[in-house]
Amino acid sequence: MTKYIIRRLLGVIPTLLVIITISFFIVRVAPGGPFDGERALPEVVKRNIEAKYHINDPLLVQYGRYMFDVLRGDLGPSYRYKDHDVNFYIFESLPNSMVLGVIAISISVIFGILSGMLAAIHQNSWIDYLSMALAVVGISVPLFVIGPVLQYVFAMKLGWLPTSGWFSTGDGWKTVILPALTLAFADFATIARLTRSSMLETLRSDYIRTAKAKGMKSSSIIFKHAMKGTMLPIVSYLGPAFAGIITGSVVVEQVFRIPGLGKFFVQSSFNRDYTLIVGVVIVYSVILVIMNFLVDIVYSLLDPRITYT
Amino acid sequence: MNLLNKQAEPQATNEFDQVIVGNSLSKDAWRRLKKNKMAVISVFIVIIYVLLAICAPILPIYPYDEIILDHQHLKPSLVKNAGQLLMEKRMADLYTQAWREGRFELSEEKDDMIWAWIDKGEVNKVWDYMYKEGNIRMAEGTFVFNTAEQRRIDTLNTKLKTDLQISVKKVWYTPEGGKRINISKLPLEEIVAIYADMVGTTSEIETEQYGREIEQQLLKTIMRQNPDLTTEEYNLLLDKELSGLSERKRDTLIRENIVAKITSQAKDIALFDLKEAAGNESVNFPLNKEITIKGALSASVKATKMHERRYYLGTDHQGRDLLSRIIYGGQVSIAIGFIGTITSVLIGTILGALAGYLGGKIDYFIMRVVDIMYGLPYMLLVIIAMAIFGRNIINLFFALAIISWLTISRMVRGQIMSLKNQEFIEAARSMGAPTRRIIFRHLIPNSLSVIIVFSTLRIPSFIMTESFLSFLGLGVQAPYASWGSLVGDAVAGMTLYPWKLFFPALAMTIFLFAMNFLGDGLRDAFDPQSKNQL
Amino acid sequence: MKTKQYKSLLEVKDLQTYFKTDAGIVKAVDGISFDLNEGETLGIVGESGCGKSVTNLSIMRLIQSPPGKIVGGEIFFEGLDILKLPENELRKIRGNEISMIFQDPMTSLNPFLKISTQMVETIRLHQKMSHKEALAKSIQMLQLVGIPVAEEKIYYYPHQFSGGMRQRVMIAMALSCEAKILIADEPTTALDVTIQAQILDLIVELTKKMNTAVILITHDLGVVAGMCDNVCVMYAGKIVEKAKTMELYKNPAHPYTEGLIKSVPRLDRAHKGRLFSIEGQPPNVIDLPDCCPFHPRCHKVMDVCQHHYPPTKDLGDQHEVACWLYVDEKEFPND
Repeated sequence: MTKYIIRRLLGVIPTLLVIITISFFIVRVAPGGPFDGERALPEVVKRNIEAKYHINDPLLVQYGRYMFDVLRGDLGPSYRYKDHDVNFYIFESLPNSMVLGVIAISISVIFGILSGMLAAIHQNSWIDYLSMALAVVGISVPLFVIGPVLQYVFAMKLGWLPTSGWFSTGDGWKTVILPALTLAFADFATIARLTRSSMLETLRSDYIRTAKAKGMKSSSIIFKHAMKGTMLPIVSYLGPAFAGIITGSVVVEQVFRIPGLGKFFVQSSFNRDYTLIVGVVIVYSVILVIMNFLVDIVYSLLDPRITYT
Repeated sequence: MNLLNKQAEPQATNEFDQVIVGNSLSKDAWRRLKKNKMAVISVFIVIIYVLLAICAPILPIYPYDEIILDHQHLKPSLVKNAGQLLMEKRMADLYTQAWREGRFELSEEKDDMIWAWIDKGEVNKVWDYMYKEGNIRMAEGTFVFNTAEQRRIDTLNTKLKTDLQISVKKVWYTPEGGKRINISKLPLEEIVAIYADMVGTTSEIETEQYGREIEQQLLKTIMRQNPDLTTEEYNLLLDKELSGLSERKRDTLIRENIVAKITSQAKDIALFDLKEAAGNESVNFPLNKEITIKGALSASVKATKMHERRYYLGTDHQGRDLLSRIIYGGQVSIAIGFIGTITSVLIGTILGALAGYLGGKIDYFIMRVVDIMYGLPYMLLVIIAMAIFGRNIINLFFALAIISWLTISRMVRGQIMSLKNQEFIEAARSMGAPTRRIIFRHLIPNSLSVIIVFSTLRIPSFIMTESFLSFLGLGVQAPYASWGSLVGDAVAGMTLYPWKLFFPALAMTIFLFAMNFLGDGLRDAFDPQSKNQL
Repeated sequence: MKTKQYKSLLEVKDLQTYFKTDAGIVKAVDGISFDLNEGETLGIVGESGCGKSVTNLSIMRLIQSPPGKIVGGEIFFEGLDILKLPENELRKIRGNEISMIFQDPMTSLNPFLKISTQMVETIRLHQKMSHKEALAKSIQMLQLVGIPVAEEKIYYYPHQFSGGMRQRVMIAMALSCEAKILIADEPTTALDVTIQAQILDLIVELTKKMNTAVILITHDLGVVAGMCDNVCVMYAGKIVEKAKTMELYKNPAHPYTEGLIKSVPRLDRAHKGRLFSIEGQPPNVIDLPDCCPFHPRCHKVMDVCQHHYPPTKDLGDQHEVACWLYVDEKEFPND
């Protein structure tokens, strides 16, 4: 098992290296960047950047130094803001995004699995049709439409929930509901469909027939025998789901004006604050890579057929 | 009449003398698809959308980029034209003002209701209510406008009657004793000469003048693309752009500028000519007419009454027709969806097929690349690419195509790997068919159903990604539109102008629904075993 | 509750199981009847797709519905009509009174659960035992079916066993509740030839010991000859011939049975020329016309075979056959 984990960890390294390399060269070649020579930056920022990148050193040395810094967790100075470096801004906004993301993924996983299972067990009943209709909506309607529509209905027309804001605005936890629901919707839909089909397939499998032939109750068949087989595809979907949540949060934070990493990301990409953009991408990638890694481990724990050698 | 005597084809029968109906995969799939009602409806919806998008230029709709500032944020209406809506707006406004001034009294209850609306920012409700109430009182005679108000209404009335929208279709130059020529087809020197003559200067002065104007224009473009730079930086960038400008491109720019100048001159003249006619209603509009600009210059113009336009789906913040913008936006979205999918499927299929068929090191290499790319938060990389390389459709398209071949390549690889050990491939190989032929004539056609199904499901996700970027402002830029950018523009004013959000969102959602249903239907049709799978 | 006046342990009467498909209704089992007595072994033989497995899944009411449905007939187990039992009564029979072994041991065991879990669960479902007792019994059963180091291997997952071992586990599981009937659905088809005989011997040995009746489904007449007391031969959803095993081998009445027997290679007879084979393919059971479904392949085909299904004739000594050859010509339908 330990061996397996180490092997998986080693597999993570090339991805991270590629990300950091791409990041480095993006900052270097981007037009209008500090290395472009055409852009007049504030003196302080310029000095910061020169100190950081040792512009006169050979490119490879710079690359090595950059790599080293990033691995150490230092993402460098911002192009735009002279008061703080990239790390500061990221650590300020990341927790907000994390809270939103964790709530959203929990909602989508819990409700997705529940409604998918209900739909599969009561195949061709109204529950099935309802949850699958909801799932089709979730898959077909982009979240930047769902977000404003939810805002319009629940905040503006019904006045139940605040339109935007984040904790501090006095509404407290109420501010989380709409953005989390919006963000959860797409993944909820996919997970519900996935669960349903996976469950139906499992229920058709030979070993379920064996369990039935043994005289087991349907409920214990579903929970004891069908559960693990059903969960496997869902666990492997979780990796892409995390990626979806991250991209989705960029839009959701924009729509609901949440001071999170995603909003920062869009803003800095408009500002051409390259170090900040790259910093955000590295953070996102690391989160994603860690999540994928965890998903792999969970998968291997669930499926006894996977050997750890 | 041989045709009538034509013998029925001998039908194949089984051992029980029952007719055997031939059953190919595609036939079978088609039969199953036809049974699926949602899929059939979806096919029609998709066809309608595609037709609308393709025919957009010849549809009787207003140009998507025609800005009429008077018509900002007109609400959608099937029966009222722009003038009537403007008048309504004006009257509601006047009633409300009168109410605020205390000349238009309402019961206390109603007052409270209106204040509540105003507090909630629901101005639309206030206006609707006041307009209704005001009209009732006007009819009863219990409320009349004062002179100042009446004057404003009269002014608006005249304006509504006389404002014209003039479009210049072509500008002609008729040399002495010659045939008239479209000036945009004349050589540059001649155009410059004609224009210089028109405004009473010489060609030299004009050429110089245009050199400067082009600089200005370039500068403006640069400023739009790169906000927040210093003057120095702008000048540097401008020099760079100018030095990169070829002679020919420069000429084209000058020509475009001059033609635009002459056209706008023609517009002014036509407007002047026709204004009076519009006022006393001596001419019927719309009107096609040829007018003389000056000397040998003439223009064919089309004049319509500006405020007789109808906006079935309302207008946006620059008075552009939303219906037209949705159709043209659909054009962009659908085009990106289809072309992007085709590109990514091509790349993915070729790489996947190569990896699957050749195996070994090539397979390993391609699949490692795919694995690593899978680990990247690719949407974010697209956002970066858009931020760095500029926001235009071509960049957007490339950015999307480059990242979206991963899944298809994995799928095709799997399919090919399972096919390649089958007997018919062995047979082809043993007969000496070259690799290329085996891949393209045997393996890929046999994986086609998988590819088709996948592509159909890929299109909506492509469209979603494009709109996602456009929504953020990183995709299609004004004056072009896409569904995403229309929704993005509408979010801010959603309470006041809900139609701006509603219609593009609806148009997009219906299309995405249809594509998803179609994709599901195709998958079920080609692979009935997967009926209940995702 | 149970009526003790039943004739045989299991009585299947005119069972019909249909499947609705896109192409039409598949009459997988179309009116078959047979009896099974205590301790007896019945073989059901036929080509693949003739409805053998569906028959037995119908007995357990394990037909996937939709698309399948038992549309007619009765199945009496100890005088109780299984088809009319409520779900909870039915569960008391499944696994407890009638248990089953499936064709493919690779997929029939739950790959996610340890053998111990799966076996203990079966035993505790039907017998009042503590977990410990059930575990002990499971180990004992595993030892009985010849699994070495059972007390250790019981904690394995199915994929850690070979195919033959897995089938042994299945047998142990099926017999752990001392069922009265064991249905073995081609128990050896998916296994290596060398292991097939071992598994069959095991089944015979254990069921004799426990006095369990067996329904053995197979396409292999050789297997039937060695094991069964009675044989039913099925073709296209119907039983075409039913007899005691010896009688069937000695006097096969139906041309199909004859063909089947002739096509088994035999070592005890002199080898003359090619091995016999039945020409053609078994029919597709969708929309079959009213005729003997075997007639296109039959070497003794008559006119009447092409238009009417033959009635079942008793040839004496429990030997029944459905073939026009044994029907008096006076009884032929005239049209």
